[in-house]
Amino acid sequence: MARMGMVFDLKRCIGCNACVIGCKQENSLPDGVFFTKTLSEDYGVYPSVKRVYIPTLCNHCEDAPCEKVCPSGATYTRDDGIVMVDGEKCIGCGSCAVACPYDQRSQVSKEMLDRGLFGEGHLTDFEKQGYDRFTPGTVIKCDFCSNRVDAGLDPACVVTCPTNARIFGDFDDPDSKPNRVMRERGGGQAPLAEKNTKPKVYYIS
Amino acid sequence: MSNTDAPLVGDSFKLGYRFQNFWDVPMATAFFFGELGAGTFLISMYFDFIAGMILGLISTGVGKPFFHLTHMGVPAKSWRAVLRPDRSWISRGLISIMVFVPFGMLVVLDQAFGWSGGGFLGKLVMFVTVAAALVVMTYQGFAMSHSSSISLWNTGLMPVSSMAYALLSGTAVTLLLASVLGGLGDADLVMLHKIFLGLLVVTLAILLSLLHAAYHGTRGGQQSVTLLIKESFSLPFHGLVFGAGIVLPLIALWFGGTTPVAVVVAAIGVLIGFFSYRVLIFKAGVYEPQISFAARLGLR
Repeated sequence: MARMGMVFDLKRCIGCNACVIGCKQENSLPDGVFFTKTLSEDYGVYPSVKRVYIPTLCNHCEDAPCEKVCPSGATYTRDDGIVMVDGEKCIGCGSCAVACPYDQRSQVSKEMLDRGLFGEGHLTDFEKQGYDRFTPGTVIKCDFCSNRVDAGLDPACVVTCPTNARIFGDFDDPDSKPNRVMRERGGGQAPLAEKNTKPKVYYIS
Repeated sequence: MSNTDAPLVGDSFKLGYRFQNFWDVPMATAFFFGELGAGTFLISMYFDFIAGMILGLISTGVGKPFFHLTHMGVPAKSWRAVLRPDRSWISRGLISIMVFVPFGMLVVLDQAFGWSGGGFLGKLVMFVTVAAALVVMTYQGFAMSHSSSISLWNTGLMPVSSMAYALLSGTAVTLLLASVLGGLGDADLVMLHKIFLGLLVVTLAILLSLLHAAYHGTRGGQQSVTLLIKESFSLPFHGLVFGAGIVLPLIALWFGGTTPVAVVVAAIGVLIGFFSYRVLIFKAGVYEPQISFAARLGLR
């Protein structure tokens, strides 16, 4: 059994959003839909201000609230711990989206797909080949690029990151990259730990 | 660790509170019709008032599914929502509606034509109907309270408020129908009037408790309650939920008794208040900031 997850090294993240673009390209995401975002947090008063970049994506929680509330069985967890949505089973009720404490789900509409990235109803070849994977009306989210993981590759956001701020691997393997980094840096912090969802995404700073 | 001073950030790439926008007016309307219908049916059944029972079944059996289907992303596959009653309140609720409506029709037919002759089968059907109606009245509250992401909803008071509003609006509609159509004696009308007043007070207490619990729970709950009582939604929340939905009916019923004008004003006020509550409680739901590192990094 594997337990795939990710570690974000906040000291390395420079907020370039290359991961966001890499993800959108890999997954052919329509306008307004993001599987990962690099949020910014500003502090201080001019001229003494500071900014922290905080990458976010689906935390693939071990105790995933989205899976618990799904009435159709569309949300499920793979053996390797990746939380998936089966577009064929999803009815688009949105209960998973309101149950996710991390606001990491999006609903893809027919209008969104028809409109396209450029808003003129003219789809590029890239969009045409990519939008076939979506069932209009269903809820979609990050799946750690499961097709890439199955092929032994890292998710697109990880390979796109120019500073190696995203570290992906198996938390059940003591020698995996995320475990090694977490050991070296004294452990990581899970987001909204008080929600008890057991995220498989950690932050080190 | 969540950010205590984070702003509302919309869809921007800033850290802060974000509105949930997945459940909106169609879902709120479906919840409204479901709870209204089950409450009206139960109250009317208690008073053997067939018109109210029929209206309750129509509200839950037609109004609620219609608005649910308008909300669904894939309406053609909505039947799949019954598949996980072991873990999902949506599944449990849908199954209870599928039991409530046909069994409720049998109860109506029994009251109208006496097909059971007062026997065991009739009582069994009534028991199943009441049990299903209770689930229909409360499951939406349970579905919301199980959502730990939205602090405003994540309270055991959510199903209690669903129950209170279902009974309150059911009483309002039953009394309104009885005043317009007749069919209930004076003693029943006086009893309904007393129940109505009592439920108004109970609902007010539950609303205040819910707001208090959310405000003193988490920062997200505090943000939502602030939106409801001080900021963006304060005008409709104070005016419609409290004003039209609680205070106006209390005044009308207290001073007008069971006069038609008082009953019409009170019933319409309650329905407006209940619907507004359903919509605003969705609108004010916010996700908390996922994480904040400013303090950890020594930036604040």
